[in-house]
Amino acid sequence: MDLQLLKKQEHQRRVRKGFMWALFCAILWGLWYIPGTVVWVLNPFDEMYAEIAATNGDGMSLIITAVLITAFNALTVILALMVWNGVLGKFGEMKRTLKEFNPCSKWFFLASIFGGPMAILGSFIAMGFVGGAFAAVAALMYPVVGSILASKWYGEKISKRAFAGIVFIIFGGITIFGGGLLTEIGAGNVVWIGYIGGLMAAVGWGIEGAIAGKGLDIAEPDVGLTLRFLGENIIWWVIAVPILAILGFPMFKYALMVFEPLTMLVLVFAGITFGFCYVTWYKSFPLIGVGRGQGIGNLYGLFAVVFIALFFGDIPDWTILVGGALCLIGSSIMFSEDTSQLESLRGE
Amino acid sequence: MVQTEAAMEAYNAYWLNSPLPAADVLWMVVILVIAIVALWQARTFVSQF
Repeated sequence: MDLQLLKKQEHQRRVRKGFMWALFCAILWGLWYIPGTVVWVLNPFDEMYAEIAATNGDGMSLIITAVLITAFNALTVILALMVWNGVLGKFGEMKRTLKEFNPCSKWFFLASIFGGPMAILGSFIAMGFVGGAFAAVAALMYPVVGSILASKWYGEKISKRAFAGIVFIIFGGITIFGGGLLTEIGAGNVVWIGYIGGLMAAVGWGIEGAIAGKGLDIAEPDVGLTLRFLGENIIWWVIAVPILAILGFPMFKYALMVFEPLTMLVLVFAGITFGFCYVTWYKSFPLIGVGRGQGIGNLYGLFAVVFIALFFGDIPDWTILVGGALCLIGSSIMFSEDTSQLESLRGE
Repeated sequence: MVQTEAAMEAYNAYWLNSPLPAADVLWMVVILVIAIVALWQARTFVSQF
């Protein structure tokens, strides 16, 4: 068989797999909003919220409770990733990558700062102050940040088609933010911190993707992502939670009360969805590039709205539907791009 | 600690309007099925590339 033909077939197979991983990411990310929403009403988090709100107000209480939920989410993600790496036989590789801090691990620890305290916490804030459907679609702007950074930093190619997809996503994001804001201004109830949370998610995940793309030049995605969550656990459990406890918030009191079957079950499912969605996200980057991986991963907004409608029976506002549809069109434009354009992901 | 009556009420209220049967259990089943398919695909991917 012709060598060029074999090369082309292999390339097409890699691109197909890349899009498949990005699609897995979108589905699992959308599903995460189910446990990510219901965990708020369960003990001990509802009681923690009530206790802090009584002394520090609703806004502060929501952020502090979100920190504890996010910390537990990071913990259950690590458990899910241990299963993932165990099944794939990657523990040896994990040890090797961890030892190589300067060339490899530093990128993943850096990614954990933007993906954890910034993006995930922001998403929880948006979810708590505005709602699950809003939080799901508010962060849809993140591929814009990710692809611009990847292009400027290490010359990842952005085609005209990919750029068109990004423009659709920008308009989708504006519709989501602007429409929701107008509705709330009309009702005299503007929850600014919810919108700031949405912005934190968009910028945080975009920066994380670009940094991860750099780290994945020399490391394996399954292992790299596990190290990224190791970093996030350190940030929450060694830095954030103890600092908040020192400041007088009842962090450890409620952390020790979390071992209740239903709460643990919901947290474990949050860990499975989030861990697996993240690892498939990272797996797509070396195959189709950060911009496209994030663009297709962006379909999570649509999946979240669908899953929330299916399991909660919530009918989303029309602005969220229109914005989500625009983002979906943008992602589809990227998805349908000619694969020969992707033969080299970086500029010459 | 156990869930309070108010917490269980709030939790159960989420599934009341769902058009799906047994939505309070079904969401976990859906997650498990998709997670297992993803893991199986990852195993296949490791052997292919």
